[in-house]
Amino acid sequence: MCLAVPAKLIEQEGKKGRADLHGNLVPVNIQLVPEAKVGDWILMHAGFAIQRLDAKTAEETWAVLENLDNRLAGDDHENANH
Amino acid sequence: MKTRTINIQEALDRLQTAAKQLERPVTFMEVCGTHTMSAFRCGLHSLMPENVTLLSGPGCPVCVTSQGDIDLLIEVTVKNNVTLCTYGDMMRVPGQLGSLEQARSHGADVQVIYSAMDAMQLAQQHPEKEVVFAAIGFETTTPPTAVAVTEAKKLGLKNFTVLVSHKLVIPAMTALLEGVDVNVDGFLCPGHVSVIIGSEVYRPIVDKYKKRCVISGFEDVHMTAALARITEQARDNQILLENLYPQAVTPKGNQVALDLIFKIFEPADMSWRGLTQLPKSGLKLRKEYEDFDAELRFGLVSRETPEPAGCRCGDVITGRCQPDECKLFSKVCTPVHPIGPCMVSSEGTCQAWFKYHQPQSRLRKKVAL
Repeated sequence: MCLAVPAKLIEQEGKKGRADLHGNLVPVNIQLVPEAKVGDWILMHAGFAIQRLDAKTAEETWAVLENLDNRLAGDDHENANH
Repeated sequence: MKTRTINIQEALDRLQTAAKQLERPVTFMEVCGTHTMSAFRCGLHSLMPENVTLLSGPGCPVCVTSQGDIDLLIEVTVKNNVTLCTYGDMMRVPGQLGSLEQARSHGADVQVIYSAMDAMQLAQQHPEKEVVFAAIGFETTTPPTAVAVTEAKKLGLKNFTVLVSHKLVIPAMTALLEGVDVNVDGFLCPGHVSVIIGSEVYRPIVDKYKKRCVISGFEDVHMTAALARITEQARDNQILLENLYPQAVTPKGNQVALDLIFKIFEPADMSWRGLTQLPKSGLKLRKEYEDFDAELRFGLVSRETPEPAGCRCGDVITGRCQPDECKLFSKVCTPVHPIGPCMVSSEGTCQAWFKYHQPQSRLRKKVAL
């Protein structure tokens, strides 16, 4: 349930924004990370940014997740984003 | 803290080397459902040295929710004609009145949501509905609930309440250590809970209880590296707090989130599956937010209800037994027909064993024949 994934903040208006979550554009609440700015990588959990990340970390995480996805192709794993 | 990229082969080599130099077998425990699944999915258990054991502790929020709280959730849905919003994990957990999934199939209004804000916004858009949000989870999941309650108060919503079952990680770890029958040599600490609570809160586990704590991320390389480090600590007779996820975890955590949590909630005694009631181990809404407390709104009373007959989920999540030591496991309790929450939850130890571990055991037995 506590899984969080990296996303890139692409729009911001007050406490709300929109993030690029590996190609999916999703709404994100950024009030827990008030210093986040457009262009930042953030760690997202349940619709909220909970931390800023550096770009290298975010890209490495996605590379690992993609690799895992490929290995699990055909597995009946469920979405564990919560 | 400086970070250094480590590859998985290097981490495995270090783990194997340290394990060979151990004076006695060691047992570590992870306390995070996402760690449980990640370790099984990437095959970490099959690569572990024989003298290093990794147990799954009370880290899956669905699994640690007491049977009484699960029954309360289903009761409010069935008896009070509310719209219940829940994270998907809770849908199939069986209670005395059936599961939320069954309640929905019988006409109850149960909605799976992605964020606590979705529940609050549903209440805002539908003033004719009485919306209850099932607030479960550890410190990572609590801030979104706190934000939803804050916004609901600001908007003056009269049709939104939360059924709070949020829990705190450190009291659970402490309770395990105070128990006499669970003995571990250290903990792999949860990465994303630690993003919120910080690394320093584990200091008493290290200083007072003399247990190693290594904070780990969730990818295979993170977990292998954390296991290698904690095994190296054991080999070197060190007991240290180490943060191997410094990219996201700071010593003091996310102060904005923590301030918000404790503005809305206060620590409260909480019942845990397998650990009974632990003092100050959960959260309840503060008095100024009690208008949003579903228990008060609907006069709900949490009762101690027994676990399903024969179910050993409580023992599994406290490291007292492995899933296949439960007589129900894989016989009458399966992911299709789960008896206990550890088989229901996508982060449950029993489901992980069923999906990833057991087939390997079967294969080994077959080959041995």
